[in-house]
Amino acid sequence: MSDVLLPIAIATPLVAATLPLALGLKYEDAGWSVAAVATTALAGLAAGIGLEVARGGTLSHALGTYEPPIGIELVADELSVAVLVLVAAVSLATLAFARVAGPRGNSFYSGYLLLVGGLTGLVLTGDLFNMFVFLEIVGISTYALIAADRSGASAYASLKYLVVGTVGASLYLLGVGYAFLATGTLNMLDMQVQILEQASYADPLIRASYALIVAGLGLKIAVFPIHAWQPDAYQRAPDAVTTIVAALVSTASAYALIRVSYTVFTVDFLAANDAITTVMLIVAGASILAGSALAAMQSDLKRMFAYSSVAQFGMIVAAVALANETALLGGIVHLVGHGLLKFGLFLGIGLLALGYGARELDDLASAARSAPYTGGAVALLGLGLVGIPPSIGFLGKWYIGVGAVESSLGGGGPAGIGIAVVIFISTLFTLSYVARVIERFYFAGVGVPGGHGDDDHSDGHDDDDRGDGHAAEVAADGGHESATGDGGPLTPVEGAARSRFVPDRVPPASLAILILTAFATVGLGFAGYALFEWFDPFLTEVFA
Amino acid sequence: MNPILTSVPPYVLLALAALAVLALPRRLGHAAAALATGFTFVQALLLGDGGTGTHLATQFLGFDVVWFNVDQFSLLMGVVVGFLATAAVLYAYGTEAPTWVTAFALIYVSSTVGTIYAGDWLTLIFFWELMAVTSTLLVWQYGGAAVRAGYRYALFHGIGGTFLLGAVVVHGASMLGSVPASEIFLFSSATGIHANATLLAAIGVGVNCGFIFLHTWLPDTYPRPHVAASVFLSVFTTKTAAYVMYRTFPEGGMWLAYLGGFMAVYGAFFALLQYDPRRLLSYHIQAQLGYMLAGFGLATYVGEFAVTGGFAHLFNNVLYKSLLFMAVGVVIYRTGVEDIRDMGGLWREMPVTFVVYLIGAASITAVPGFNGFISKGMVIDSAHELHNFELLFGEGLLWWLLILGGVGTFMSFIKLGYYVFFHGSATLSPKDATPFQTAGMLLAGGACVFFGTPLTYGYLVELMPFTAEVAPELHPYSTSHLTESAALLVTGFVGFFALKRPLGWLAHHMRDIDAVTYPAAFYLARGSIWGVTELWAAVDRAVMSTIAAVEWTGMHPREALARAGVDTEIRTGIGRSVLFLTLAAGVALFVFVLA
Repeated sequence: MSDVLLPIAIATPLVAATLPLALGLKYEDAGWSVAAVATTALAGLAAGIGLEVARGGTLSHALGTYEPPIGIELVADELSVAVLVLVAAVSLATLAFARVAGPRGNSFYSGYLLLVGGLTGLVLTGDLFNMFVFLEIVGISTYALIAADRSGASAYASLKYLVVGTVGASLYLLGVGYAFLATGTLNMLDMQVQILEQASYADPLIRASYALIVAGLGLKIAVFPIHAWQPDAYQRAPDAVTTIVAALVSTASAYALIRVSYTVFTVDFLAANDAITTVMLIVAGASILAGSALAAMQSDLKRMFAYSSVAQFGMIVAAVALANETALLGGIVHLVGHGLLKFGLFLGIGLLALGYGARELDDLASAARSAPYTGGAVALLGLGLVGIPPSIGFLGKWYIGVGAVESSLGGGGPAGIGIAVVIFISTLFTLSYVARVIERFYFAGVGVPGGHGDDDHSDGHDDDDRGDGHAAEVAADGGHESATGDGGPLTPVEGAARSRFVPDRVPPASLAILILTAFATVGLGFAGYALFEWFDPFLTEVFA
Repeated sequence: MNPILTSVPPYVLLALAALAVLALPRRLGHAAAALATGFTFVQALLLGDGGTGTHLATQFLGFDVVWFNVDQFSLLMGVVVGFLATAAVLYAYGTEAPTWVTAFALIYVSSTVGTIYAGDWLTLIFFWELMAVTSTLLVWQYGGAAVRAGYRYALFHGIGGTFLLGAVVVHGASMLGSVPASEIFLFSSATGIHANATLLAAIGVGVNCGFIFLHTWLPDTYPRPHVAASVFLSVFTTKTAAYVMYRTFPEGGMWLAYLGGFMAVYGAFFALLQYDPRRLLSYHIQAQLGYMLAGFGLATYVGEFAVTGGFAHLFNNVLYKSLLFMAVGVVIYRTGVEDIRDMGGLWREMPVTFVVYLIGAASITAVPGFNGFISKGMVIDSAHELHNFELLFGEGLLWWLLILGGVGTFMSFIKLGYYVFFHGSATLSPKDATPFQTAGMLLAGGACVFFGTPLTYGYLVELMPFTAEVAPELHPYSTSHLTESAALLVTGFVGFFALKRPLGWLAHHMRDIDAVTYPAAFYLARGSIWGVTELWAAVDRAVMSTIAAVEWTGMHPREALARAGVDTEIRTGIGRSVLFLTLAAGVALFVFVLA
């Protein structure tokens, strides 16, 4: 009866989402507490589901009394558990930051829980139409959260996402409709069988269905050239919202793409339709290149890493289209790893903005001096994003790259090598913008008061926490930095949090989570074989 | 054969002795040095024909190497180098050479002996390069003008060593396949160096041999260091080079023979123009090497006789050349004057030195009764058999070149002796040689006489390779040889006194090739450094400004577009986003369904 965990996991945040509103009639700030309890419970449930799957393999539950394929089925296998754990962990961890950074108010936490519930449902559902419903729940709650700080820019970003997101979801729905017409079923596993029985892989209806689903999900994932909503949304949203949205929303959509491609349409469908995979590879390659190049051009940190996501999801789409075991493993590892990395990066950026009011790259001169731990964690995560081992960022990219080369060597034409080359170029671009950040953190600011290489500590900002910052001093390297128009050293905002243990003027709980995340990405970098073991049953089933 | 004798490579003892010279008091240190060099000499004598073989053979980096290769050729080199080094150590002790000079000299002798006893190309090149380094240190030790000259010396030998290294590599690569891979560098695997490496090896060894145009380091370097250092330098580098030349080209070649002939003339001619005594002697090193190379070059055309002649001349040259450097060194040591025009009439003041000089001069000019007469006669006899380009009296070009070189040698040593020991009355009244200087000179001079007299020259042939073949054919004191020698002597005297004034005029106007090559090399190097630096700077500027432009365009895309005349919004608004999405879906449908 452990399969009942699945509906409980979905219901917990969804039901809890109503509580802040209801309790809000009596309490001013019940929202955070409710969200904390609900996400903690979700984390426990996710762990329980994970254990069950690890013990007994795939877990499924028929909702209500209707047996599938008529009724809705919830399924948890290795893939969905991995994403589910990511969803639970990130939604719990973001709360610590949201408490200090806002937005505040009960309605925000209702939206937050609705988003978490939607994501959980999206990950666990085994039904195509049900997936659409959760996709819309995720979408609508995201639209609301992005505009949660009520500024004009975020309202515009939200509206943009709302319009194109709705069109995208509609395309997905249209695709599901076509598939339903062709097969008469909505259950994923059943449809997998029915496509062969009632139609064929060459059936125009099936192909059109896949085209519409890919286009719809592609928008939600934000691949080039239909990514335009994403940088605006990430940049304009409140920091806490960016943190969870960047880590989970596109990730869940990419999960949906993998699920639909491999569980519903299957690898044989992809193999039978070369044109489809070719077009997907071209789009993915363009996405990887354009995203990386655009990221390298940005000066706003959030926008920079938003474009970086366009590139990273390009790699995941490429892994799906390559349709071989190594690449798909890489795609899944990168899916989870990228979510973790982006969570950490946006959290770090949010902390710097919260503690020092710095949002632009140019504001961050000598950030590692004022905020050594925050700066160090962001630098570590950035290097992970570049793909420097040991990091989970390296593992994902590596498997995708190897899979791409394998597919070319296995007679798959030049597309695989092309993808590998594109990934390499993208890595260089990634290195260029991450290096810019690290350069800012550690080497810029020579000559400015309180900056690196400046021995005069009597001016500038508070002296209380400077004790060990002094030791981290770096030798001056020529001092022409001041000519670039730096805005001076990083100065904490008034009333920034302090801690007894670190010089960073950022909230300690969030900082702890950030450092933990940074170490987790590095630690997972050593877990290549364990990840392979974990996903092996799923991959074996898919490529059977 | 005594296994102990073949298991002790003498260069190790010499290297230890070099340390001992530094560590021990001066007298004891020099005694240790003399013992080590004496051991080298005695060991080579005792090993004799019975000790030949490849001793201390081992492997290095997977290649067979031989650290102590004893054969006819290396033995004769060991004998003469060990003997002369002993004399030179005594001389150095008597000349108040600083212990550092003797130490560097010994380590230099050690690397020389290592080169001689090398049994494979790897060992050879190792000691060869070490020889260049240690000899440079020996020059530098003196400071002053020796530093810049030593630097030029190091450049020459660095380049030459690199050429030889290249030759060794090419040789090894070319030998692959014909012998097991581990044996490609062994001397015993091939006759000389592989044909592919001929040019590289000729240039590499040629620098040390003082090939014309590659010789300018010789008169440049050897006059500058301490007089005792000059004695060491004058015999080891060049003579070892001649020996290695034979190892490299045991079959000789006409190019080598004629090159030798021209070197004899070129060296003797420029020696005639010199007034610095050691510079004069340095040019004679080139001339004398010409005779040796002429002998080696005729190895195939004439046979063992020519090779033996070359080696005998090498052997003798080590003795008399160092003897001359010692004698001249005594004069410089006692007077402090380095221009022969400022000397004169010294034969009364320094009779011992004068006698020693006479012995050396008589040997190098091949006066009967001295060792040079025997060996130079052998080389000229060999050249006599060559009739490629016949000139006067039915003799070939090579013969005439060697004879001309002989006349030049006579003239220049008459000149040297005349200016130093006669040439007016003495203006200086120096003391004669010190006892240890005398001892060193007596050793070398005694050997010069010993190997030259009609009764004892047989011992020279005994030490040479191919004794059995050569001894019956050797008749140095035949009438024709004596006539030839007398003719040379007379021509030399007449020539010198007849041409004294023109030669004096020439000496002021005729400069060696280094007047061209040194500035050329200097400005070429300076120009290329400037060119490379500026080129790199230009590339750097171009790259950096391109990057800056690209970066600016990337950072300010709208401004860049505006400058290009396109004023448009490039951000994708809501409407355009939906358009893109629709287009994307349309394209996907089109391709997916119709493909």
